[in-house]
Amino acid sequence: MATQAQGSGPVSAVLMAGLAGLVISLAIAFMNLLSGGHSAFNTGSDGVSWGLPVVNYVFFALTSTGLTLVSSLAMTFGNKGWYPIAKRCVWLSLVTLVAGFASLALELGHPFRMLWAIPLNAQLVSPLNWMGIFYAVFLVLGILKFMRIHNGDWNSSTSKQIGVAALVTELLAGGMLGMAFGAMAMRPMWYGNLVPLYFILTAACTGAAFAMLVTYLSYGSEEAMPGQVRSLMQGALPTAFAGLLGITILVIGYRTVIGLWSNADGLQVWDTIVASPWFWIEAALLIGAFWLLLQRRALALASVMVIGGFFIDRYEFVIGGQLLPLFKGSWVPDLIAYTPSTTEWMLTLMAFSIVLVGWALGERMFNLGAVPRD
Amino acid sequence: MAKWGMVIDLEKCTGCQACSTACQMENNRLPGENYQDVLYYTEGKQPTPTLKWFPRPCMHCEEPSCMHVCPTKATYKTEDGVVLIDWDKCIGCKYCMIACPYGVRFYTDEKALIEPNIKQVFKGDGDLSWNPPYKGPQQDPKHGVGIQPNGVVSKCNFCYHKISKAPKGVADLDESNPELVEYVPACVRTCAPKARYFGDLDNPNSQVSRLISDKQGTRLLDHTGNKPQVYYLTGGGAAGSAVPGTRSNKKA
Repeated sequence: MATQAQGSGPVSAVLMAGLAGLVISLAIAFMNLLSGGHSAFNTGSDGVSWGLPVVNYVFFALTSTGLTLVSSLAMTFGNKGWYPIAKRCVWLSLVTLVAGFASLALELGHPFRMLWAIPLNAQLVSPLNWMGIFYAVFLVLGILKFMRIHNGDWNSSTSKQIGVAALVTELLAGGMLGMAFGAMAMRPMWYGNLVPLYFILTAACTGAAFAMLVTYLSYGSEEAMPGQVRSLMQGALPTAFAGLLGITILVIGYRTVIGLWSNADGLQVWDTIVASPWFWIEAALLIGAFWLLLQRRALALASVMVIGGFFIDRYEFVIGGQLLPLFKGSWVPDLIAYTPSTTEWMLTLMAFSIVLVGWALGERMFNLGAVPRD
Repeated sequence: MAKWGMVIDLEKCTGCQACSTACQMENNRLPGENYQDVLYYTEGKQPTPTLKWFPRPCMHCEEPSCMHVCPTKATYKTEDGVVLIDWDKCIGCKYCMIACPYGVRFYTDEKALIEPNIKQVFKGDGDLSWNPPYKGPQQDPKHGVGIQPNGVVSKCNFCYHKISKAPKGVADLDESNPELVEYVPACVRTCAPKARYFGDLDNPNSQVSRLISDKQGTRLLDHTGNKPQVYYLTGGGAAGSAVPGTRSNKKA
């Protein structure tokens, strides 16, 4: 294993910011949850069942899938130019998955019961069951893979096999998460057999965005980057990212137009989504980031824009699919109104803080910029 | 083994909500969270608005999507065709609430649907969500019967604590039969215009089977493939015709 120059980026500042976010979010969230239970959320039986904590989970779990895809370019598909960010991506795929799990655990009614109830009573036809299994298996494989490469074993057959297994598991998990929504024929906005593909495509975008952002944060500037890293950050990474993002923007556009065009009962949710300023903020962020990537300018900013844009996209998807009232009568005469509570936003802050702290600790402790010698 | 099902005659239903009230009392439900509800819809504007209503219990589907999505098999179907929830296995993921096309499931650990929050007045013992003053004697978490615990999902159980004790082989649980009245679901027993019938759908001689056959019973949202075991007699037309589409709702 070769050790590249240690980054000179604002790792300490990010660590402090993350810790502050973690303390604040956990303090407020636990105070509200312990005093009022899940009534601290704005979810309800007559409204939205899956609120912002589930949006957080979907966002970070898919980001984990995306980061594994990015890391696989070097470690599975042999593109050596991508090695400088591979270890960082493996580490971050674990951290983002933990962040997603943490948000989901605080949303579940009985998170500890899940640990025995799912293995002992697994419902084999439930997408949620398989999604949980695949992400749990990935967590183990991802840890094993990281330990291997941290100890310098990048290319042994065992290490490669673990990497391939981790990639396949992550793809299955992300696809199964898509199926959890796409199989719901009673929710017209979600329903569709291409939702798993949409999730994997958008996962790759957020994975690439996080990979680019933390690489930039590791070194502080392109001038401070080692040659291999700078070459990747000025060449293949923004090019591939721009292509991926361009295709995804088109897909989002077509999904939106189809939703607006259709007269099917339930798809009028798209009218509400497009009427919201958040939709146009998302569009501006993604298109703006695409332009920056094409220009290869302000890449860190472009990454932040993509992360923000896709968080809005996940929110619109998860919440939008539930806005249609199912047999609620005159109690809910139109689409359901939902605004996340302070506690729910604190779980979002918590999840982002976990990622910041996790990345910064990894940067400090595990030399995430390492590359193989050969 | 019987396959229990219900028939609701919409031409008889007056929308009086006696069924909902009986359900609330029988199943220790919080205000606004009755397993059985009559939904009201207002169409048109003054001076000619129209009030419509639609009684809606859990459909106890033959192919329940709620059961198929449950990752822990907490939602299950009994041999006698009733869809139940094992509260001891439920992890509160709420996927069943997402997957139910009929919106008949409740997660009690949330803001009160109706204020003031009566859970704060009658605080529950242990894990139970509240301590209703009129609670029934039965508490059977394996069948989702009794006071709903925190952190789990609940729904109509066809008053399983009653129907499971009915004599074997009966074709119908008819409230007018003194020998069977104690086994009749609360909503059926209390229905003043006798718009509800409860019996064995697999028995061709049961009253429910004859009504479905003679009066062309229809099922709600049959296109979903869930195959409800609750049938509606409409006098012609589809079940749920009182329920406006959400697009027409928007325009109203």
